[in-house]
Amino acid sequence: MISFKQGHISIAFVCMVLGFMFALQFRATLEQKASLPYQRVEELSARLLQTEKERDLLQGKIDELQNSPGSLAEVRAIQELRLRSGAAAAEGPGVVVTIDDSKTTAKAGENQNLYIIHDDDLLKVINELRAAGAEALSVNGQRLLGTSEIRCAGPTLSVNNVRSAPPYEIRAIGDPATLEGALKMRGGVAETLKVWGIQLDVRTSDNLQVPAYKGSFQFKYAKAVRPQEVTP
Amino acid sequence: MILALVGLAVGVLLGVICPVTVPLAYSKLLSVALLASLDSVFGGFRSAMENKFDNTVFISGFFVNALLAAFLVYVGDYLSIDLYYVALLAFGLRIFQNLAIIRRYFLKKY
Repeated sequence: MISFKQGHISIAFVCMVLGFMFALQFRATLEQKASLPYQRVEELSARLLQTEKERDLLQGKIDELQNSPGSLAEVRAIQELRLRSGAAAAEGPGVVVTIDDSKTTAKAGENQNLYIIHDDDLLKVINELRAAGAEALSVNGQRLLGTSEIRCAGPTLSVNNVRSAPPYEIRAIGDPATLEGALKMRGGVAETLKVWGIQLDVRTSDNLQVPAYKGSFQFKYAKAVRPQEVTP
Repeated sequence: MILALVGLAVGVLLGVICPVTVPLAYSKLLSVALLASLDSVFGGFRSAMENKFDNTVFISGFFVNALLAAFLVYVGDYLSIDLYYVALLAFGLRIFQNLAIIRRYFLKKY
């Protein structure tokens, strides 16, 4: 059919080389497909699946532990601790204090900073509320714990590392009359702030809710000391 | 013809068995060389159909084309001239041209 006049052997050799290259390239391509980017995707998705499974397992454990029946005293102790630590939402009578920036504009040459709310203004109010026996406090939906910070973050305030802008709503659970009186007493916080035109509004409520702390409790450095280990 | 097929089979077998793997960086060169040799093979077919087959031309063309194509692509990489695509296009065009001519010869014959 086709006539290769000479050199059958050399043609066979050429074909052999061609086949060799074919196979080599085929294998290289296969390997490439099995290599990094492809593998990475598969590996990552496998890890994601595994982590999700782990999370579900742990969530199940949490539910199980939370619902496990303990003695009544234990349950009560836990509930009280949760309330104290801010892990549980609280409700009861109290006051809602709303603070907003001053509406009066600064006169020429006057420091504008005097007319906006600062962290220390808020801290004074909260300190006053605590002194008056507030049992649970929140600022713009952030539960105040022993570790909560209140500090200026530019034009906003950061509480529990969550920033919020004015107006600030402070909810305090406690005796409404005492709380209101503590803020509004003569020479008190409300009066001081009013000088700068900062609006402070106190509203008493018979039933108000303070949300639970939404973050996680993790102590990196502090460890609990067992009672017998306490040095005198 | 049978000898050629046997050679091809042996080559494929060798390639599969051989533990040598081409590094990722050089697989581009190998693919160009492969295309060049494919082009030579189809060219050889065509010349055989035309009864103009010359063994020396075929074999020298096979190796020199493949090596030169790979070498040019390699050098082009360093000069940021992407000769890879140029080679693909040129050899691809020639392969299809040769295929068309071979097909026509077959049609004429039968």
